[in-house]
Amino acid sequence: MAYKPSMRRSGVGLELELDIKPVMNLMVVLIPLLLAGVEYIKLSIIEIDLPPTQAGAGAGEGEQNPEQEREQRLGLKIAITRDGFTIATASAMMSDESGEGPTVPLNAENDFDYDTLKEKLIDIKKLIIDKKYDFKDRDTAVITAGREIEYQIIINVLDTIQKYTDEEGNIQPLFPQVNFGQIIV
Amino acid sequence: MAFQPSKSKRHDTKIVGTLNMNSMMDMMTIILLFLLKSYSTSGALATQSESLKLPLSERTTKPKKELNVSVATDFIFLNEVPLMTTNDIDPNVFMIPQLEYKLIEYANQEKQMEIETGKEFTHEVIIQGDKTINFETLFKVMYTCSKSDFYKMRLLTVQSSKIE
Repeated sequence: MAYKPSMRRSGVGLELELDIKPVMNLMVVLIPLLLAGVEYIKLSIIEIDLPPTQAGAGAGEGEQNPEQEREQRLGLKIAITRDGFTIATASAMMSDESGEGPTVPLNAENDFDYDTLKEKLIDIKKLIIDKKYDFKDRDTAVITAGREIEYQIIINVLDTIQKYTDEEGNIQPLFPQVNFGQIIV
Repeated sequence: MAFQPSKSKRHDTKIVGTLNMNSMMDMMTIILLFLLKSYSTSGALATQSESLKLPLSERTTKPKKELNVSVATDFIFLNEVPLMTTNDIDPNVFMIPQLEYKLIEYANQEKQMEIETGKEFTHEVIIQGDKTINFETLFKVMYTCSKSDFYKMRLLTVQSSKIE
């Protein structure tokens, strides 16, 4: 006995539409919520950790002879003036090729030459590594600037002195710890 | 008396139109994905204005919400509340007394909270400075912060791929 043909064969094709109203409702709620939390510009921070003022400079290192302590310090200072950058250490001050003026004068466009500053600092860093100098402040640089120097220039210098790419393409720290010195008058 | 409907209209069946939501769903999905990608959990930390445009930096360290000192070209704000004008800064001393007073007040509150609730006082302060302010102003603000128990300073910048 043949089975009765199913109703589907003769039936009119039923078109079932997906009910997307709940999904739409969810979208309408989610979109304003996400819009409120959108990050239009990406912010970042530069961390400057100064020693607590109560502790005082060189606390806990009293046993050492001040002379001996000075010998073990790199004391790297970068001074920013309208003429360019001057690099100095505890023992010497670097001058430019002519022997006078700042270490890194302004470039041909009368702008600060960050690339040359980086090159000079890389030379200093490599010298410390090659000669195996054991400076306590080998990763620290003190920045001083003229009172009229703009904040953006300070930030550019902080970016420049933080890291460098070595010959093998690896990113190495240059002078990641930064302190601020007095205003140059 | 109502008119008799015309012959052509007499057998008309009502056509019910449905709105095609597919294209709208596609659009919504794209917007949702875009928004999810650029969503920030930390919320808005800074509001840039004409007198407070943050400098550009290559750094990628993400900021956290902390006490906020904003140095605009005309005003100094503490947690978005105007504190003083930049013209009120004494050119002869490093310390800014108005700012110091408020910072010490905050530091004492934080220390009290540390004792009462155990929430650690981080000594952190976010400094938002306009990119055109001079080093003297920045130095004085930083000096005041360091002398008022906020010696861990975070300079807020806008991320950029290359130095301007």
